[in-house]
Amino acid sequence: MAAEGFLEVENLEAIITRIEQKSRKIESLLKQSKPVEALKTALEGSPLKTRDERCKSANWIVVHRAIMAIKDVDGMLASLDPEYYDILMKYLYRGLATGDRPTCDQCLRIHEKLTERAGLGCILRSLADTVNTV
Amino acid sequence: MAAVAVHQFAQCITCHAWSPDRTMVAFCPNNNELHIYKFIKDRWEKLHVLYKHDQIISGIDWSMRSNKIVTVSHDRNSYVWNQEASEWVPTLVILRLNRAALCVQWSPKENKFAVGSGAKTVCVCYYEQENNWWVSKLIRKKHNSSVTGVAWHPNNILLATTSTDGKCRVFSTFIKGVDPRDSGASSSNELKFGEQIAQLDLSFTWAFGVKWSPNGNTLAYAGHNSMIYFIEDVESSPSAQTVAFRDLPLRDVLFVSERMLIGVGFDCNPLVFAADETGLWSFVKFLDEKKTAQSSSKYGSQFSEAFGKLYGQSKHGASNDAVEPSRPRGGVHENCITCIVPLRKGGETVVKRFSTSGLDGKLAIWELDDYIDLPQ
Repeated sequence: MAAEGFLEVENLEAIITRIEQKSRKIESLLKQSKPVEALKTALEGSPLKTRDERCKSANWIVVHRAIMAIKDVDGMLASLDPEYYDILMKYLYRGLATGDRPTCDQCLRIHEKLTERAGLGCILRSLADTVNTV
Repeated sequence: MAAVAVHQFAQCITCHAWSPDRTMVAFCPNNNELHIYKFIKDRWEKLHVLYKHDQIISGIDWSMRSNKIVTVSHDRNSYVWNQEASEWVPTLVILRLNRAALCVQWSPKENKFAVGSGAKTVCVCYYEQENNWWVSKLIRKKHNSSVTGVAWHPNNILLATTSTDGKCRVFSTFIKGVDPRDSGASSSNELKFGEQIAQLDLSFTWAFGVKWSPNGNTLAYAGHNSMIYFIEDVESSPSAQTVAFRDLPLRDVLFVSERMLIGVGFDCNPLVFAADETGLWSFVKFLDEKKTAQSSSKYGSQFSEAFGKLYGQSKHGASNDAVEPSRPRGGVHENCITCIVPLRKGGETVVKRFSTSGLDGKLAIWELDDYIDLPQ
């Protein structure tokens, strides 16, 4: 039974470089007022399988930037591919864990709408999965 | 459609099983007793209360042809109950476990039964005629944590197990002298007791409720992450489908046909999953329509109150007075459904009726309408 690339040993430096590239792309998308595209780009290719905290933090900063730039939550969720729901939920919980007021407000706002769309199962998956963490 | 019968038997039911003629039900009301009730005229009458176990009975199975009840308990023991006249006589089965037994199932030929336990082992017990007792053979290897579910393949040899280490495994339980040599085993591997045929690494969370489809082609099990996994061709080249669904996780599943499955769990409402012509599985609907129609709140009353308080915070600390008060769910079950058992008539391959029991102590009987598309 083939495992899903679990033993992918990617160069950590390569991951960081990729995240930096993502960051630049996101800045340019935000300047073009495309916050939904920016969020998709941020969520794509997230380093879920590595254990390296640096990579995860670097990706979180990028995702955080994209999350904070969202003004129209309903619109964003309407155009976001359902395959991103689970990973977005995981980042929302990371945001809620920061304790920072603006971040928490934004994350909570999105959490409410995302739960409506994706259901409680989405929350369960973000809680239960201790292997693919953000 | 809704349930055709509901009865409150106790405050909480751990597990239940039906007699071969489906007039009697055996269950454990979350203690060390085994209760047997019979439906006489229009009421349920308590026929027997059997005291033998010292702790909660975690698994009960009633064999269809030989009319034997097997019970397993947290007290690490198992009893096989035989009906003699109007009494049930227990025979102790020494499982050789040092932790609780969690689940049990008779094999299709009813000459063996499998027990999953917290000791990370699976016991396969068979009857030894010469000594007139049940012998337990242990599968000690492979499991890294408690075995929560066991399921027999129709060929009476393969056994699938789920465990809290997140994996589903398939073993051979071939026993010389009990199983015939030419029992349709496809590989020589299958002729060795305890040999692991496959290990499915799909879930990163606890796994529950494993079942084979009626002709043994498909294997399904539920993960605690609100996902259900379907695997075809386990023995040769397994191909898996993972179905992530919106609602709370499942605890048990039941194949009603090759292409339809019912899952039960924390939503207190059975979920229907079906495969289309290409074999792609997906969630269809909830079985108990009453619940989804009645609640106007988005998630169900219990959650809207909690979420209301949570989201109320984001409006800069203003208290949210528009929270709806909790009200009873209105569905058939009021608490988690932990057990689903088919009610098959004669040689039916498609299950049209089944029963569910849960932590609310209710036992509900459900009937599937013919027009709900029962494929094959």
